[in-house]
Amino acid sequence: MAVSALNATHEAIVARYDDVDPVYGEQREHRLLGFVLFLVSDVILFSAFVFAYLYLRNSVPNWPPINKDGVQLPRFDVALATVNSVVLFGSGATMHFAMESWKKLDKAAFNMWILATIILGIGFLSGQAFEYHEAQITWAGSTMGASFFTLTGMHGFHVFVGVIYLIVLFIQANKGVYTGSKYFGLTAGTLYWHFVDVIWVALFYLFYLM
Amino acid sequence: MSVAATFTGHGHAHDHIHPEPTGFVRKYLFSLDAKVIGIQYMLTGFLFFIISGLLAEVIRVQLLVPKGALLSNDAYNGVYSLHGSGMVWMVIIPLMTGGFGNYVMPLMIGARDVAFPWLNLIAFWMFPIAGVILFSSFLIGAPDAGWTEYPPISVQGPPGTTLWCVAIFLIGISSTLTGINFMVTIVKMRAPGMTFTRMPLFIWAQFATAALNMIATTALAAALLALFLERVFSIPFYDPARGGSPLLWQHMFWFYSHPAVYIMILPAFGIVSEIYPTFARKPIFGYKMIAFSSVAIALLGFMVWAHHMFTSGMAPWLQLPFMILTMVIAVPTGIKIFSWLATLWGGKIWFTSAMLFSLGFIATFTFGGVTGIFLSAVPVDLHEHGTYFVVAHIHYVLYGGSILGLFAGIYYWWPKMTGRMMNDRLGHWHFWLTFIAFNVTFMPMHWLGLLGMPRRVATYDPQFQFFNDVASIASFVLAGSTLLLIYNMLWSFRYGPKAGPNPWGARTLEWQISSPPPYYNFKTIPAVLKNPYNFGEPLPYIGLESMAGEDGHGPDPHAPVPVHA
Repeated sequence: MAVSALNATHEAIVARYDDVDPVYGEQREHRLLGFVLFLVSDVILFSAFVFAYLYLRNSVPNWPPINKDGVQLPRFDVALATVNSVVLFGSGATMHFAMESWKKLDKAAFNMWILATIILGIGFLSGQAFEYHEAQITWAGSTMGASFFTLTGMHGFHVFVGVIYLIVLFIQANKGVYTGSKYFGLTAGTLYWHFVDVIWVALFYLFYLM
Repeated sequence: MSVAATFTGHGHAHDHIHPEPTGFVRKYLFSLDAKVIGIQYMLTGFLFFIISGLLAEVIRVQLLVPKGALLSNDAYNGVYSLHGSGMVWMVIIPLMTGGFGNYVMPLMIGARDVAFPWLNLIAFWMFPIAGVILFSSFLIGAPDAGWTEYPPISVQGPPGTTLWCVAIFLIGISSTLTGINFMVTIVKMRAPGMTFTRMPLFIWAQFATAALNMIATTALAAALLALFLERVFSIPFYDPARGGSPLLWQHMFWFYSHPAVYIMILPAFGIVSEIYPTFARKPIFGYKMIAFSSVAIALLGFMVWAHHMFTSGMAPWLQLPFMILTMVIAVPTGIKIFSWLATLWGGKIWFTSAMLFSLGFIATFTFGGVTGIFLSAVPVDLHEHGTYFVVAHIHYVLYGGSILGLFAGIYYWWPKMTGRMMNDRLGHWHFWLTFIAFNVTFMPMHWLGLLGMPRRVATYDPQFQFFNDVASIASFVLAGSTLLLIYNMLWSFRYGPKAGPNPWGARTLEWQISSPPPYYNFKTIPAVLKNPYNFGEPLPYIGLESMAGEDGHGPDPHAPVPVHA
């Protein structure tokens, strides 16, 4: 049994490489570099708002600040955010497994992992919606609210776009758009999802721990 | 036989090309061809140049008399704000990157197109839409805080300020996409053998510019988004009454806009770096120094933004490093200028219109650079900030630098783009009128600034009237001189002699193919052995011969497959 399994894997690996296409190879390189550069410019967008947050934060003596009615604003709820973070980081792991399954041509496992990622992504968005609903500060009420809702909202928008993207990838993969050697869309989706994770690490520290 | 069918067989992506479209819409309106998109950028940018230029003339008419000849104070604020915003974002940046970058860059590196033609198409169409949004803000009350739109004025400004945010955000996205596209094209799609140190200097300039566009522009996007949110949803970022900080805008804005100064000038450096060796018939002096100084300028450009804020309030200990770093930027710029002078030195100079504009560029740009050094010194800046001295400085670097560079590029590449020559005598007239009128317009502004005339005022003290009138009258001549360029273009279409592939005897790759170049640029991708500037040696390209003397209708399927490094 073990030998036939080994043979099957071997055939799968051969199948993966026998349709190697140099045109595709070069296009893939271009798209990968282009996508990474896009992520770099996106990092600058977040960094600029993080700078704004830190600048506004340092321009008042105490943080959380006092709002315009003289009320001391509360800190953010770390417990809820921690649960939410675990959900998002978990989705990073499942996305990684989805990609690895694809590379091993294990489509069933790929489908399972990418669906898990999508569900966890939706879970994160639901958690964030709940957090916004329960929040004791408003977007327009203070600079704290302004930077918090703008930054986490931008991040949530990225997660939302990512979830849509993953659903598209899931459909495309099952329609046979990607093969064992041509799957740049999946690579880009994975990169994007991990990027969204990394941004969250920074935001989690900046808003909940700092 | 389609071009695509031939080239996919070669097995390399830059041999692969989408088939040439035939219908008018796909060929001229929504083309994927970088050359067509480049010309679209140039036409659109030229239209906005005329609009923004007319706004400048409105300013000069207003300032003919101390009480203001034409406009109310509010209307005047809108006019100069849109003149500045239009010239920076709708004219110089798109023409430098989208225009000349798209047309010339793929040809120069021996590529058939940019890396992402669809992205290029999308980025282009954002540009006219952004321009229309920007100028339509006149209809609902134009933004009135200058092109820098400092809060809190911009937060309280007329409704058009919101349109300004949208327009600049849109053109910013377009710039970012173009930057990413050009980075990938230059890094990945150069002809085999064209190592980084064999790239033409225009490509080095475009590379540094693309990096700036890609990195800096999203910082502006963040600043604009925050301003938009504050204006529309009253989210407090900048309003000090609600805990915000107007200085925050200045930091974010200048973190983009100082690099943007180099986005506007680096491609002009690239253009003149091509023109000097061609018309002096000499190898460029200090190739590597010119190339690396472009990168050095791009890097240093990120570290000097706060020199715009010396009078806005900043920690005194921060002023010194920003002052020194600003002065340091003059070093790579000076390296370029001395290298260009050494290139010209001892050459047998051919005074074409393109060369005249490039020579004028050295003079006026250096002058503007020197006044920049004045302004970088904190004690001088405290005196000059917010006066006409600053207006004179930016016009010397942006008109005397960027726009003269653009004119030089138009005269240089016109035969390549259209296949016809322009009238050189008219070009000389255009140059001399422009050069003299430019200096007479903007030179007195230095004196006005030193005498204490503030910028952005609709009325002024009568003691300043003489120099204002001199500047205004000269500016009418300056505007009129542009008509000569337009006439020359029309003349060229009707009477211009056929240019042939290489009327200047230039050595970069775009001149080695027919004018205008065919849809697919190169029949076979040549291999490159050296940088292109060694006048007196044979051309450093292999594999170009198969292009000459063929039917001109498509690549030769029997031509040898080029070796790809």
